[in-house]
Amino acid sequence: MSDGSATRLAGSARSRLRSLFGNPLLTLCLSSTVIVVVAGVLQVSFGSYDTTIGQAVDAILDPTVVTDPRWVLKFLLGEGLMRSLTGFRGELPELATTTLIVWDIRIPRVLVAILVGMNLAVSGAIFQAITRNELASPFILGVSSGAGLTILLTLVVFSGLTAFLPLIASVGGGIAFLLVYAIAWQNGTSPVRLVLAGVIVGTVFNSLQTGLFFFAQDIAVVQSAIQWTTGSLVGADWEQVRMILPWTIVAVLLALVSSRQLNVLLLGERTASSLGMSVEKVRFALSGVAVLAAAASIAAAGIVGFVGLIVPHMVRNAVGSDYRRLMIGCVFVGPALVVVADVGARLGLQVLTGSVGQVPVGIVTGLIGGPYFLYLMRRQQQLGEI
Amino acid sequence: MMGEDREPSTGSPSGEAPGGTRAADGGAGTSGESDSAESTAADGTDGAENAPELLGEDLAIGYPTTEDPVVECETVAIPAGEITALVGPNGSGKSTLLKSMADQLAPERGRVLLDGADVQSFETKALARKLGLLSQQHNAPDSITVEDLAYHGRYPHRGFFESVTEADREAVDRAIDLAGVEHLRNAELGNLSGGQKQLAWIAMILAQDTDVLLLDEPTTFLDLHHQLRVMEVVRTLNREASVTVAIVLHDVGQAARFADNLIALKDGEPYDWGPPRDVLTEELLADVFHVEASVDVDSPGGPNIAPESPLNE
Repeated sequence: MSDGSATRLAGSARSRLRSLFGNPLLTLCLSSTVIVVVAGVLQVSFGSYDTTIGQAVDAILDPTVVTDPRWVLKFLLGEGLMRSLTGFRGELPELATTTLIVWDIRIPRVLVAILVGMNLAVSGAIFQAITRNELASPFILGVSSGAGLTILLTLVVFSGLTAFLPLIASVGGGIAFLLVYAIAWQNGTSPVRLVLAGVIVGTVFNSLQTGLFFFAQDIAVVQSAIQWTTGSLVGADWEQVRMILPWTIVAVLLALVSSRQLNVLLLGERTASSLGMSVEKVRFALSGVAVLAAAASIAAAGIVGFVGLIVPHMVRNAVGSDYRRLMIGCVFVGPALVVVADVGARLGLQVLTGSVGQVPVGIVTGLIGGPYFLYLMRRQQQLGEI
Repeated sequence: MMGEDREPSTGSPSGEAPGGTRAADGGAGTSGESDSAESTAADGTDGAENAPELLGEDLAIGYPTTEDPVVECETVAIPAGEITALVGPNGSGKSTLLKSMADQLAPERGRVLLDGADVQSFETKALARKLGLLSQQHNAPDSITVEDLAYHGRYPHRGFFESVTEADREAVDRAIDLAGVEHLRNAELGNLSGGQKQLAWIAMILAQDTDVLLLDEPTTFLDLHHQLRVMEVVRTLNREASVTVAIVLHDVGQAARFADNLIALKDGEPYDWGPPRDVLTEELLADVFHVEASVDVDSPGGPNIAPESPLNE
């Protein structure tokens, strides 16, 4: 008897697992992973120090690094932390030039792209549920304009603080978000009021930001500002990986465990509230998670547009709007989009014009995102409300 | 007993007798339950001892955007283990009253008591385990299945990290069965008719497994078949699980057939309340609904209304 109920339980758990990872989701995750790997290998193979793809793969799998926890720890945690953890005093074994270039310079850029994609996708998915609007992005509640303004202020006015730019940009985004919330608050908030407040703060901050460009003395400052405000992975390093990895883990885990809350929010405030949810608290907490994820991506790569808007759409198209599935899909598809876009940003001009120049990755995501949106608009009758 | 001492500001002669009993029920509910249990047992419902009653005292309810309260009433009682229908013309404050009874809209004055305890004193999830409210308008993503929707009804029973328990599964199965949507269990909401959708929402609120159920116009916009299906589910739930039900209905005739009590609202104030046969008069239909109608009180299925013509307001 108990045996029977045990198998029934196991069976129902299995079928739930299968329904959770229902075919479309599994396909989506697997194909995204393949895309990340292929694009990652391409990214790692080409550049001013050209290797063949075979050499690059060898370098990625170089046993001197992969089997030596000291190297892995050094990359992921930094040299100091590695030494205090392992008690290792001497010099690490030397690496072959190819391995060094691949591991020290190119792999971290791919990893940052992966983390940025994850953060933006998850953040966009949360904001779309909170505002119950498919057109919401991670930057809908003023985060990008706040970050943009503080970036410009730092570069143009407080140039001594440039070293803290990632931190300053995220803090600026966070402050703008709180401002938006304060403006929207009137015995509680509502999705529409939040979006409107976001537009208000965004308009003012963007004007200030554009105004600041006129005070920039130096074309280099302007270029640097543009890189930050359109999003770029040039020079992404292990330091960036170490900086945003912990926040990414926290934000993505919180987003995944909150998927049921998001599902209930999708039923509308009234229903959520009569089911016993403290809608305001949950909404603010979830916005906080989404802003954290967006801020982490800004700190590493500046303001990369379109990813947070488009990825939840792609996933929703494939798996439906159940956030338990949608969120998992976002964690895989976001990285795929950003890694591919960054290959285009880094190697595109080289292929097209033969020059070594790079464009900000945000420009490429916009170039991919715009047409995809057009395609969605043509295909879907109603685009807007979830 | 407070409500009884102060005469309700409005109250037609016919309402006084049943109104008096309602108020007495309310008083008994706050001090002890024996009275209301007896009265419901006499009505033929059994196992009502545990059913709670909902009582509004000295209520004034409004919205931030309105100056004057939309609803004002001295006492309004939803007796334990019975079906109470709120009827009244558009804008008479039925939905507003229901929202406030469910603690979704804080009254400007007065309080709502669930078995003697102020609903505002409950933690939100604790209240949602006792009292369920189905709003008039609700929306859900098209791709959600009926079963998924029903599982959302378990929200107040689950902690933040808690996974689905055997109790959740049983409650959802029971709710889907009771709402009669077993064959639609895996259907997506976007593919259902309005009536089927409404039954799916009923399944959700049944899965919430509450002792009190407040339904805001659950039958409006449904075809006759689905109207009757919804009403039958409500009646079954009330008879078998002795759930206390308050239901806003547009169709007075339907209210008269299905409800144990009627509360007729006019301009935000209770005009009359009590068993349908006592309340539903030609005079009430003229005063509250502005229609000329004849009422056949002796019809076996409950008072029968034949509306004839609209009266000038």
